[in-house]
Amino acid sequence: MSLVYEARNLEQRYDGRTALARVSLEIERGEAVALTGPNGCGKSTLLRLLAFIERPFAGELIYHGDRTNPRREATLLLQDPYLLRASVFFNVTLGLRLRHCGKDLERIYDSCMRAVGFDDPGSFAARGPNALSGGERQRVALAARLALNPRVLLMDEPTSNVDAASARAIADAVSRYRREGLTVVCSTHDPALINALQAREIRLGRRWDEI
Amino acid sequence: MEYLINGWFGALALLADMDDATLSAIYATLLSTVYAMTAAFSLGLLPGFILGYYNFPGKRALRLVSDTLLAFPTVLIGLIVYAFITARGPLGDYELLFTLPGMAIGQAVLALPIVVSWTAQAVENLDPRCRETLLTLGANARQTALLTLWECRFAVGMVCVTAFGRVITEVGVAMMLGGNIRYSTRTMTTAIALETSKGDFSQGIALGLVLLLMAFMVNLALAFLRRRGARA
Repeated sequence: MSLVYEARNLEQRYDGRTALARVSLEIERGEAVALTGPNGCGKSTLLRLLAFIERPFAGELIYHGDRTNPRREATLLLQDPYLLRASVFFNVTLGLRLRHCGKDLERIYDSCMRAVGFDDPGSFAARGPNALSGGERQRVALAARLALNPRVLLMDEPTSNVDAASARAIADAVSRYRREGLTVVCSTHDPALINALQAREIRLGRRWDEI
Repeated sequence: MEYLINGWFGALALLADMDDATLSAIYATLLSTVYAMTAAFSLGLLPGFILGYYNFPGKRALRLVSDTLLAFPTVLIGLIVYAFITARGPLGDYELLFTLPGMAIGQAVLALPIVVSWTAQAVENLDPRCRETLLTLGANARQTALLTLWECRFAVGMVCVTAFGRVITEVGVAMMLGGNIRYSTRTMTTAIALETSKGDFSQGIALGLVLLLMAFMVNLALAFLRRRGARA
């Protein structure tokens, strides 16, 4: 197995306050990793660093992939995802448009929406985000990430704000993609999700002990 | 009291007839407002976005200046622009004084701080998760900035409508820079001021009603944008 991430003594600070300290870890390609630990231990911060939407204050993070633009390979599903004020179809296919992949959008939309448990994707295509429930929003946001066909899927508490059916649909969808070789890193307190993903658990402590 | 009642009836009769002077005032008002709004948005949208989107040294000071200019007295704007476009001023050769474009310059100066400050506010008020979401979808810096502006479109639309309402109901700048010339630069607000000073309440009320109708339509557009923004 080859490594996807190598992190050495990662540290992050916001306004002088330490949010993550001295975290080291290695994640292999195709692996599922569950980050667990108490609130405030830095799980979300670590995911944002792994998604390259923030730079670490200190330490080293090596990504074994397209290092010129790793955000095109690793994508993050936020805990409380934001959907743009546009249709569900636009939101799901936005990442592809940003990459100038404008072909087959309808087919990709349909398959990704079905993968996250929507039986009739067409009926959701024109809806705005405010016409969706919390669970539907979470699944649409996940569909938007899966549409990118990422190499690494990072998820921040993906099942914490949704009902049991949506949580199951999310776990099923991610498990299916994981079997096809997707690397998954998620922060979660949900044992069902950890089991479904057969994830290796990495526990972050309050004292940010080195892993 | 009787003259007021007669004024209302006279106004309704004038509106039914729609005489040339009234139509000309409506036309001048709309044209100068469109000129002014086009100029204010062309000049103010990008600085407003930059002020709200980026962090840079001096940002707070610039924001303070822009916010202070929101309370710029219109007469003072008229005076400053007058000094620039009068025959002896630096722009005197263009003969803009007492013309619709000259009046529109003053109105654009009036609208500019509204466009800059409120666009900046709209961008600052946008949910911070929007930028994070765009980054997680692989957007580059330019795509993130453009989509952020697009995401603020309803709020920017409200800025436009608000500035339009401010400009169309303005009287000081229009009077000083337009000169209130009949069939040329006489707008509805300057016409109301003139007719009232002459004691012709009917004409004043008639134009006031048209202005009120326009303000109503502007507010209708504002309410529509608010509803669209909240629903989307």
